[in-house]
Amino acid sequence: MEKNGLSRRRFLKTGGLALGAGLAAASPGFSQTYAQESLQVWSCGGLAEAFQPANHEFEKLTKASIAYTGAFAGALGKSLLTGSARTEVFGPRVLELAKKLKAQGKMLWFKPLCFTQYVVATPKGNPAGIESIKDMGKSGVKTILAPEASPPGGKASMIILKKAGVEDKARANAVFVGDCVQTAVTDLVTGKADAAVIEKRIIHLPQFRGKLDTLPIPEAFIPPAPVPFTIGVMKWAKNRALAEAFVDFILSDKGQVWFHRAGFIPAQTEEGQRLTRKYGVMDV
Amino acid sequence: MYKQWFGNWKRRLVQLVSLGIIGEWSFYGIFRCPFAVPYIGCGNCPVIQCPGRNLWMWGWILMGLSAVLFGRVFCGWICPGGLVSEILSMGAFFKNKINRIASNLFSVGKYIVLALSLYLFFVANNPRWAIPIRTGEFFKSVGLTFEHADPIWIYKTMAILIALGLSIFIPMFWCRFFCPTGGALELLSRFSLFRFITNEKCTSCDRCLKMCAMETRPSESNCVQCGDCLDTCKLDAVEWRSRIRST
Ligand code: SF4
Ligand code: SF4
Ligand code: SF4
Repeated sequence: MEKNGLSRRRFLKTGGLALGAGLAAASPGFSQTYAQESLQVWSCGGLAEAFQPANHEFEKLTKASIAYTGAFAGALGKSLLTGSARTEVFGPRVLELAKKLKAQGKMLWFKPLCFTQYVVATPKGNPAGIESIKDMGKSGVKTILAPEASPPGGKASMIILKKAGVEDKARANAVFVGDCVQTAVTDLVTGKADAAVIEKRIIHLPQFRGKLDTLPIPEAFIPPAPVPFTIGVMKWAKNRALAEAFVDFILSDKGQVWFHRAGFIPAQTEEGQRLTRKYGVMDV
Repeated sequence: MYKQWFGNWKRRLVQLVSLGIIGEWSFYGIFRCPFAVPYIGCGNCPVIQCPGRNLWMWGWILMGLSAVLFGRVFCGWICPGGLVSEILSMGAFFKNKINRIASNLFSVGKYIVLALSLYLFFVANNPRWAIPIRTGEFFKSVGLTFEHADPIWIYKTMAILIALGLSIFIPMFWCRFFCPTGGALELLSRFSLFRFITNEKCTSCDRCLKMCAMETRPSESNCVQCGDCLDTCKLDAVEWRSRIRST
């Protein structure tokens, strides 16, 4: 299993940051100060653990203050698409949402930010000896599911189980069926259950760190919609230079390392670029 | 009114300090907690800004301990909800107008809410009724929570706000008749080692009851051990009693 808290240097090495030139060009923006200026940033709540420290670092570098809101992207997106909500920078999950906002003229442009990963999580040491997602359908294996959780925790995990051909059996094996992934994972940590399909980011949360093991899931089982995250500047950005400097920072090595540490694949790595191409994360 | 508010200045000071420490948690619990029962499942809560994530375990341990030692002292000295109820009750229209029988009858309400909360937490796995606004400016996040919550979350929040607001008419409405925490502490307080009681000198003149914000008497139900009535009794019939000494 991958070690937590990988150093930035190692991240840069292993991640093979491919956009060195682009980042170097963006760097001067970070030294510019924006004292007394504030920027409103919204993102999918799953990214909160990454955005919080990244925002803090940007604030230190530029003296700007970031007013950050992280919540289920579908809800934030609905407020932005159909309500009177406004924000200056938005980092949604699901490419379609960014495209819709762009089509409405509410988002000026967007770029790929990072990608989530789904894994089979087991208690530390994998006491039930789970070898792959298929084992979640074996009799005697205790699973946990959160089908009612807000997407992508709930529905995406169920799609993965379905594509792996074990949905019904994993349901029958469930010792917990709920509406909150984090509550469900607690049963995994305490050993009440043997396996669950979750986003890798969950195992990086402070309360679960070091308490779970993971197994990879074949990419063919993973639905595309919840995987990519983008970041874009909105038409309400009062100070476009500040909003753009912020996005540049988040996409720089200094910003992206926080997304790596939170369990995501940063867009600016080789793997991130492969996924960018695979999922067609383009602003058109 | 001045005497009632500042006479027991130590209590006001403790209330203000506790407001600083756990007041924010109370507001998060009412306005932003996505769960059916707030303040309990905080260890796993996705709302990373809520101070409950750090406070909840010790909060509940200390609260339970305080009730076994001193009855509903949490309600009288610590709870921000109790302080808000007291402020709203200052000019209540129906002060001392609800008779004892009705008051005792309505008091059952807090046990019903407690039973419902225990059911939702232990049997129904504390369902999430609102989108968790994981982090964000408080009032904007409250707006988003209301915008995207299930209707049942809205009803629950409205019921809480209405019960708190009813203190404007009936003093301490929320604490006396509705609060599940108050109900739990009331049950535990039956075993408390220290408490205010009325002794044998009491003639049931009800002077203490008339000045009591909770409209009760020492050692009776709903007494929150505030001590405000200590000096009202001309016969020294209110006293602080240790059960250890008296048994
Ligand atoms: S930490 Fe979470 S569960 Fe606890 S009161 Fe706050 S919002 Fe509710
Ligand atoms: S009854 Fe409830 S709200 Fe009132 S003081 Fe006690 S715990 Fe607080
Ligand atoms: S009876 Fe006395 S101690 Fe008890 S709540 Fe009323 S005023 Fe406070």
